[in-house]
Amino acid sequence: MGRTAKDSLVKGIIYLATGITLSVLLSIVGFIFVKGISLVNWDFLTRDYNEKVVYAFMESGDVPLSIDEENLNNKQPYDQRYETLLEGPIYVENIGAAISKVSYKNHSTEREQIVISYIEKDSPLNGAIDSTGKAIIIGTDYILQSINGTDFSDMTLEEVSKTISAESGELKIKVVQPGGGIKSNIITTLYMVLLSLIVALPLGIFGAIYLTEYAKPGRLVNAIRFAAECLAGIPSIIFGLFGMAFFVVAMNLQISLISGSLTVAIILLPVIIRSTEEALKTVPMAFREGSLALGATKLQTIFKVVLPCAVPGIATAVLLSIGRVVGESAALLLTAGTVAQIPGTLFSPGSTLTVQAYYVAKEEGNIELACAIGIVIIVIVIVLNILSRITSDKLDVFNKK
Amino acid sequence: MDTNIKFNTKNLDLFYGDFQALKSINMEIREKEVTAFIGPSGCGKSTFLRCLNRMNDLIDSVKINGEILFDGKDINGPIDVINLRTRVGMVFQKPNPFPMSIYENIAYGPKCQGMKDKNQLDALVKESLTKAALWDEVKDRLNKSALGLSGGQQQRLCIARTIAMNPEVILMDEPTSALDPIATAKIEDLMSSLKKDYTIIIVTHSMQQAGRISDKTAFFLMGEVIEFNETPIIFTNPHDKRTEDYITGRFG
Repeated sequence: MGRTAKDSLVKGIIYLATGITLSVLLSIVGFIFVKGISLVNWDFLTRDYNEKVVYAFMESGDVPLSIDEENLNNKQPYDQRYETLLEGPIYVENIGAAISKVSYKNHSTEREQIVISYIEKDSPLNGAIDSTGKAIIIGTDYILQSINGTDFSDMTLEEVSKTISAESGELKIKVVQPGGGIKSNIITTLYMVLLSLIVALPLGIFGAIYLTEYAKPGRLVNAIRFAAECLAGIPSIIFGLFGMAFFVVAMNLQISLISGSLTVAIILLPVIIRSTEEALKTVPMAFREGSLALGATKLQTIFKVVLPCAVPGIATAVLLSIGRVVGESAALLLTAGTVAQIPGTLFSPGSTLTVQAYYVAKEEGNIELACAIGIVIIVIVIVLNILSRITSDKLDVFNKK
Repeated sequence: MDTNIKFNTKNLDLFYGDFQALKSINMEIREKEVTAFIGPSGCGKSTFLRCLNRMNDLIDSVKINGEILFDGKDINGPIDVINLRTRVGMVFQKPNPFPMSIYENIAYGPKCQGMKDKNQLDALVKESLTKAALWDEVKDRLNKSALGLSGGQQQRLCIARTIAMNPEVILMDEPTSALDPIATAKIEDLMSSLKKDYTIIIVTHSMQQAGRISDKTAFFLMGEVIEFNETPIIFTNPHDKRTEDYITGRFG
């Protein structure tokens, strides 16, 4: 074969490999987007995953409808992924809101329910409080279940509206806040990122400082470095098992935010140590000499000269770490649990986005929802990437002229 | 004892592992003079210079025998190295300003010693930059990064940074080797003006430079001081054949 032919053959293989890689990547992201994008909207991001029953107290009012009938009929704020309109809407003056009857159907439940489809600005619903006197928000798409003890199930919409209209004075309404959102998972993920970085960053940075600035090169340093490298290669489920045995059981921290973040902090340590070490190594020896020659102590030299120079590298470590936490599922499944709730304390469980994606896909068979969560994860990772790049550019002492 | 003697080394040997880099150096360096070290590459002149403020501590394999007396006190004994380095400053071959503002570069040393007062620092920065003949060039950009300065300005900044510590001795390790002739001339002028306040010890590859600026010159070869004398004598009437060969360009 001639040399030119060989060249073009190799070139072809290179192009093909690149093409395959790119198309696999694009098709995965494309699949996730196509499957999940219809579920992603504001409600999805801001609602809890579980429905929540609330008792709301208010004074009945007498609020006339301020928009015309046709306009009211066009208001269909209910969740059209799961709900189809059966009857209504009918406007009820003493609660200042329109109600509709819809059939609700998702992959596991099917039922009929009364939902609020429109709320007037002066509606008593907007001034509702709960039994402790705290203001609560009632929005459209919330489910109405009873008023002053009269249950609405098996009633037609007409009967419901009459029942409500008959009441006056103090009203006690049982509403259900619709679920299906991932607010709690987003917040748990952010908590997890924050907590694990708070633990792992100082430890990792100090470890790297020891390795590059203090330790005499030799067996011990090599052993530590080797251990860090091995640690980086161990699958996270192993760390999960350790976290479960040590933090959850032995230290009795339960399946909780703190157990999860400590476990993830261990997973992050080698990543942070290694990238910080690389960053410290690139700081020229001349800076250290210059500082020491001015009568600075070693500690002053490290903290005032060497570390600031290494900040862009450390920022990269932080980025890698955040990516790792956001993407971690196996270890968290075992240590932080799968409860879709906003953890009230460090010792409450909570599920991150990836764990939730696993949970809805595996336990509920809801691939679309898992893909929708996937989209959110991808967007978060991209945003974090951009942010970290901007901050690391901003902090780069060598770029400022 | 002669009080004018700043440094006095006695039988100084220095080893890098098994390699002997300095062989029995005996030298007296006087106060407020410029002493130049010349010699071919690898002859030990920079190594010797770095002994004088214990910069060789940074290298693990270094072993030192003999005495280096600074104002009569052995600096390899139980002394405060930090204190020594504030009294014996150093300027390096390549300009190494820290990646901070010009102001912060100068204020760094004093701040490390605990100086906090803003007015005091401001005055010190101005004074040091003026002494280093840099004030007029940088007074409007004190808060800009020092890395934006030219090489010659950076080196004068490093000198100013050293002056800010108000040292007794300034060690200079080939301070102009990375600079162009104009920047070099400026630094040489600076050195002559600094001579009245400081003891200056300079390592240089340029014999013309040694001839222009120094009072005393030491010729190093293979870790030994071959000849140490008044500069005019070294350059016009050297006693040793090897010195003559070197300065006339027969080797090195």
